[in-house]
Amino acid sequence: MKALELSGLQTAFHDHLLSQAGAIAQEVIDDGRISVDHRLQVYHNAYRVRLLENLQDAYEKTWAYLGGEAFEASALAYIESHPPRHRTLRWHGAEFPQWLGNRFPDDPDIAELALIDWQLRQAFDGPDATPVAAPDLARLSVEEWASVGFGFVPTLFVTPLRFNSVDIWHALDQAHIPPAAEPLPQPAWLLIWRKGWQPHFRILQAAEHAALRQLQDGASFAQVCAGLAERFSDQEAARVAAESLRIWLQDEMISGLTGRPAR
Amino acid sequence: MNISSPAIRKKSPGFGLGLRPVHYPDFLKEPQAVDWLEIISENYMVPGGKPLAMLDAILARYPVTMHGVSLSIGSTDGLDAHYLADLKALANHVQPLWISDHLCWTGVQGRNSHDLLPLPYSEEALRLVVRHVDQVQDMLGRRILLENVSSYLDYRSSEMREWEFLRQVAEQADCLLLLDVNNIHVSGINHGFDPIEFLDHLPVERVQQIHLAGHSDHGDYIVDTHDHPVAEPVWALYRHTCARFGSVATMIERDDRIPELPELIAELNRARAIAAETPETWTEAA
Repeated sequence: MKALELSGLQTAFHDHLLSQAGAIAQEVIDDGRISVDHRLQVYHNAYRVRLLENLQDAYEKTWAYLGGEAFEASALAYIESHPPRHRTLRWHGAEFPQWLGNRFPDDPDIAELALIDWQLRQAFDGPDATPVAAPDLARLSVEEWASVGFGFVPTLFVTPLRFNSVDIWHALDQAHIPPAAEPLPQPAWLLIWRKGWQPHFRILQAAEHAALRQLQDGASFAQVCAGLAERFSDQEAARVAAESLRIWLQDEMISGLTGRPAR
Repeated sequence: MNISSPAIRKKSPGFGLGLRPVHYPDFLKEPQAVDWLEIISENYMVPGGKPLAMLDAILARYPVTMHGVSLSIGSTDGLDAHYLADLKALANHVQPLWISDHLCWTGVQGRNSHDLLPLPYSEEALRLVVRHVDQVQDMLGRRILLENVSSYLDYRSSEMREWEFLRQVAEQADCLLLLDVNNIHVSGINHGFDPIEFLDHLPVERVQQIHLAGHSDHGDYIVDTHDHPVAEPVWALYRHTCARFGSVATMIERDDRIPELPELIAELNRARAIAAETPETWTEAA
């Protein structure tokens, strides 16, 4: 029988990695010492183990939450349906949270925790940006304050939270038994961002979430303050605005000033 | 490609280690008895953050070589222009001593195995690899090094021995070689060839770097796992390698069960000692 050309051989080999399809076996020499199946199995196993370990690394808390066996079963099913298409392994798990959501429709807390794992990883080695510091704002004139808005660092992610995933995350981080998944009594959002080299996260309440979202949509800080004044008393609105801005600066979340009139 | 240089290989910068994140603090705290470090290129093809900051700190202290795992020089898909552009950008930043990858393929039809898969040693594969090396060297403006991979099977379509294939690639494409002595030992056991015969057929003037690593013994075959110290048969083979190839940049690769840095430096010192006591049969070109 004629041997396959290189492109056919590579396709058959790769098919075997994915599903142990048999066409490649005819291309491999049987030396009578170690069986062809066994030789091919070394590659099939190495492929799955490498991708599994990559998912275990990227989804450390999800792995602990599901437990070794259930995580492995899910990860191997994901690996089977999602052959990597990027040159670096970093991106292979990108669709895993959404995929877990479909796999466990009655336990959406699993996908929520997985999304936290993924976004923390994205924040870890996401793009660099120089944070705006308090003295940069102190230099603004009154006219500039009327129109200035803020750009945020590219490693900042805001995600709606439906469950007590943050409590679950912390328990797993301490190697404690996590609390049972419970829906949150009111809507909340998770803020993830990188400060220095370290990813951080905290829960956002409705007012701060609304302010951040307005700013991300291009509103000025003055417009945000006006929005807060509709929600709170003038005094409380001013306090919330000032306190939010202080924390954003301290947490190195702001990376640029926008909307200033040209001098 | 036509790179005019009297001596094909560069003078050895000495003895190095593969840089692993767990050792960042050791390398940044104080000078270590390591002449150079090898980075995994793909680990620094990220947008930003700690990996790139650590890389810059390392670059200020050590000469660095770049070692890739995703070039896929033997894939019938052809080369990936985006990957090559990222590799070139990283090389411009790092200014490495040299750039290496593996003589293998890693994927086909847009799918990536993230494994170093063996090529058949055929004329067809040789033509493809030589064409690709030519394109890569033109793009990077320098010779690259290709490493022999460990393998667990032989193809019916092979028309020559692995060492002939390596030699043909190096000479026809005018590239350099990264000799992984552990991989030669692993493949020698798995395929039943004599590793000395392998070494003795390679062109001395094209071997720029040597890898030493550990493996896992499964009885009738061994797997190149990089999770153990260098094994005794590999040290013996390294002794022969030094005698044949002379002073070649040598490093230890460890990717799993990574020990404390002093343990790796002790292993590296054993390589220094073997190299120092081995009479060279080959001397550096002027």
